[in-house]
Amino acid sequence: MEDYLTNLERKSISLIREARAQFKNLGVLWSTGKDSTANVWLCKKAFFGKVPFPVIHIDTGRKFPEIYEFRNKVAEEWNLDLVIAKNEEALKNGMSPEKGKLDCCTQLKTEALKSLIREREFDALLLAIRRDEHGIRAKERYFSPRDEEFRWQYADQPAEMWDLYVKPSEDFSHMRVHPILHWTELDVWQYVQREGLPINPLYFAKDGKRYRSLGCMPCTVPIPSNASTIDEIVEELAATKTPERAGRAQDKERAYMMQKLRSLGYM
Amino acid sequence: MIILGLDALDLNMVKEFKCGNLMQIECGQTSLSGFELERTVVLWASFLTGRNMESEIPLKTQWEFKLKLEDTFFSSFKTYDAVDVPAFTLKDENHAEERKLLKKFFDEETTTDEYDDVVWKNHEENKNDLFNSIGRSDLVMGYFDLADAIGHLSFGVPEKMEKVYAELEKIAREVRSSSDDFVLVISDHGMKPVGKYGDHTRNGFYSANRRLGLNLPKITDFYGMIRSVAKIEST
Repeated sequence: MEDYLTNLERKSISLIREARAQFKNLGVLWSTGKDSTANVWLCKKAFFGKVPFPVIHIDTGRKFPEIYEFRNKVAEEWNLDLVIAKNEEALKNGMSPEKGKLDCCTQLKTEALKSLIREREFDALLLAIRRDEHGIRAKERYFSPRDEEFRWQYADQPAEMWDLYVKPSEDFSHMRVHPILHWTELDVWQYVQREGLPINPLYFAKDGKRYRSLGCMPCTVPIPSNASTIDEIVEELAATKTPERAGRAQDKERAYMMQKLRSLGYM
Repeated sequence: MIILGLDALDLNMVKEFKCGNLMQIECGQTSLSGFELERTVVLWASFLTGRNMESEIPLKTQWEFKLKLEDTFFSSFKTYDAVDVPAFTLKDENHAEERKLLKKFFDEETTTDEYDDVVWKNHEENKNDLFNSIGRSDLVMGYFDLADAIGHLSFGVPEKMEKVYAELEKIAREVRSSSDDFVLVISDHGMKPVGKYGDHTRNGFYSANRRLGLNLPKITDFYGMIRSVAKIEST
């Protein structure tokens, strides 16, 4: 009988291969965090050691230096076709969280990716989101269509029974495919541990603090922790009943409302 | 005829706060079947025209969308007053200011207090406009977004919502006591709590100060009825 992690991996690899078979121009997003690094690794395994499509990094220009260092090192070691999405114009005009966090994210992440999708004509993207991250992501499907404005019709999604997914269509701009949607945070860390994957040093505790998720410098804060190795992180997570975004329960509702108000055109 | 268009007025809340003047003689829920999303401008435009306008109003430019008079039931009346009616006479600046503050709230640049103050200020302005219009025209429609705007950030805060419903109940009482006209109270959608926030539901509300005998009407069903009131008044 196969172990739990192997089962998770097999499902993810099957989703990646399905995406590759269905779409002409596939790409995988890589933030260099643990989830997206595991996702790129799964792509590598799915195609016997070589990721056969571009690996996209959205560079907001506001990330930790450790992220750029890690990205360049792993991209070289894994022989990745690294593509950088960057909204140079917004950066030149001084976009930053001080001008509004929502606007900053929209300009430096969403618009950068939109423009790359248009330029490179991507029809599907692999993303490493997980259902257990927060409420709105729990509604996601493995194959999730988006329109040109990245809108997601979360009220109108198929059930995906018997591994049947939404097919390519002219009704949408591109497909989001989520190979590790069914994984938990602990699953990812156990997988990282089992596969011996490279991990950004920001995840490891220094002076009683470590980053539990990585983003832009101004908007990311560390959590109190003494876990300074992968083994200790796995141990820490296995022992806690507190979810990844613990202490931020309101964030889930806030994130949900923000998404909903956007979809209704309020913002 | 007087129409009170109350954004996000919810039947359960009307009952919970025992708002007898909002409930009037007949009240119930409306159906949004046929609509994909509960978009405010789309639903009010559909109410005004009697047809589902969802495919005709793009999300991005919905707040600028304006109907022509001849497409609405207002054209059936000799005189009318439309106070801040979405897709028709919406006070663009007031609503843009509310949306701007809503965005600032999610950007953590302002508090609900500042947002609430602006919403209440705009509400007072509409209330004055409405009461100045009653008795002046054959059809008066006043639109109030108080329950929706306050509800989005505070639907799970009972003391705030109680104040909102008490205010809307007071308006309904004053409207009903100021005229013997046909009074229709209608909302575009309902609301449910998401923690302390509020999310749209598909249950709209309607009530009338006379028996209509309706059973789960669609928001587009009122168009014909309102036009028939215009015909009766003109004969």
